[in-house]
Amino acid sequence: MAKIIACYKWVADEADLRINADMSVDLSKAKGKISDYDKNAIEAAVQVAKGTGDTAVTLTFGSGKAKQSLKDALSRGPAEGFWINSGSAEKADGAASSKVLAAAIKEMGDYKLILCAEGASDTFARQVGPGIAARLDIPCVSSATGFEVNGNTVTVSRKLEDCVEVVAADLPVVVCVLPEINQPPIPGLKAVLDAGKKPTRELRLEDLGLSETDLAAKTELQGFEAYVMNRKNVILSGDSAADKVKELVANLKKEGII
Amino acid sequence: MSGIYVYSDNFGLSAALLSLAAQSGEEVCAITLDQDQADELVNYGADRLLVLKGDSPRPESYAKVIAELLKKENAELFLVGSTARGRELAAKTAGYLDCGMVSDAASLVFEVGKIVTTRLMYGGSVVQTEIINSLTVVTVPVGKFEAAKNESKKGVISSLEVKADQRVNIIETSPIKKEGIDLAAADKVVCIGMGLDKPEDIQIAQDLAQVLGAEIGCTRGIAEERHWLPVQSYIGISGANVKPSLYISMGVSGQVQHVVGIRDSRIIAAVDSNDKAPIFKAADYGIVGDLYEIIPLLTEALRNA
Repeated sequence: MAKIIACYKWVADEADLRINADMSVDLSKAKGKISDYDKNAIEAAVQVAKGTGDTAVTLTFGSGKAKQSLKDALSRGPAEGFWINSGSAEKADGAASSKVLAAAIKEMGDYKLILCAEGASDTFARQVGPGIAARLDIPCVSSATGFEVNGNTVTVSRKLEDCVEVVAADLPVVVCVLPEINQPPIPGLKAVLDAGKKPTRELRLEDLGLSETDLAAKTELQGFEAYVMNRKNVILSGDSAADKVKELVANLKKEGII
Repeated sequence: MSGIYVYSDNFGLSAALLSLAAQSGEEVCAITLDQDQADELVNYGADRLLVLKGDSPRPESYAKVIAELLKKENAELFLVGSTARGRELAAKTAGYLDCGMVSDAASLVFEVGKIVTTRLMYGGSVVQTEIINSLTVVTVPVGKFEAAKNESKKGVISSLEVKADQRVNIIETSPIKKEGIDLAAADKVVCIGMGLDKPEDIQIAQDLAQVLGAEIGCTRGIAEERHWLPVQSYIGISGANVKPSLYISMGVSGQVQHVVGIRDSRIIAAVDSNDKAPIFKAADYGIVGDLYEIIPLLTEALRNA
């Protein structure tokens, strides 16, 4: 039995993001969550492992805050949760994240398939899956809407801009899934209770032969602030629905739209 | 360090990125996998055009080759068009080089000795500004920069025999059925959200769209949870980005993941019953009210306008 590894990121929930008066961004009150699209990667790992008889496991790189993610991830079906615990995850760029995850995957060993989402819901940079593949020098297939493992190959359907492409790749391989690949179910009570009993393993950077200096940001961060969309923000205030509609039509005329 | 390298599997994007790179004053090299594309790109600002001649039709399979080339040439920047293939190629190349990467740059400015980029995060509510001062891979989406033909400058074409990664092979490709939707190109978009009660109610959106000559779009929930419309209809992160002259929504709450896809609309109008819905902060004109009352009235008013 080989490992089928679903990678996920514990992110700040963007719904809790607060913008200060000076346009700075306050994430301090944001709750954490498993990045939305990573739930698709976890579900895909669980489903494929059922068919191949392999073991679905999860892997995350996060600070101490990410510890709470393990139970959530395991309630979605995987057998074991791996967590690289490092504060450096908070500032990690795509290079650092894929370097750490690739090193952990090597350390975990005996892997045949690594599943990632296309991108994380905070940065949506879409770098980590292919970055892991490059660092392990294994193939990568992104934009996956479906896949099937047969022996030593995986057949993947990909959604590109103008076509659907079916490719075959040799295992081991990194597959980056699009959200339409599946609909992750909400874990039931039993699954949540069972998750608490599943094994977890905590790794440290030094276990992976890495130090914080290996993870230094490659670009210099100059700004991180609220993006302002310049909109008129006019709420039409007519007394009746008909009045409001009339005002809207008048405004659309004024704008030259109609 | 010197030299800006450019690649896209989309011709228009290649041309736009070459024109952007030419603003730097550095030497600009276009990488292509196709002699014909090189011939067509000679007048867009490149000094050199390098045709990689390999044994795979998949651009993604040249990441390692390109990484080695960029290293050997001591490149300072690799600009890649942000298509599905381009993004994978770019991220793998950055991985092989262990260098930085800026995904989907919203802006890129060449300054003395450095490059300043911005990109959006958290579904478009945060803008991150980064300074690049060593080799970095930057992907750029369609439509951010314009191609400018420069007839006075003609790039020199050369070719290089390379070995592609043979571990991923195409079995088949089939065109995506667009089902009549081209949201990205639509001049007007009517968008439905989870505030709509049942699939039959899409009719009121269709009536409005017909009067306006608009395409119908939706939020992710409508396409992926309720399956009321095909996935090509949803707007936002991982869905379509629209830039119509008018975007009008009904029952759309306006979560950031959706709003990022409508940001380039000229005028945004929203109808929703919740006066605190974030869509109103993203809108030019808002009507707080029952969409089942407002939309038919609006359709009627526009029909008579």
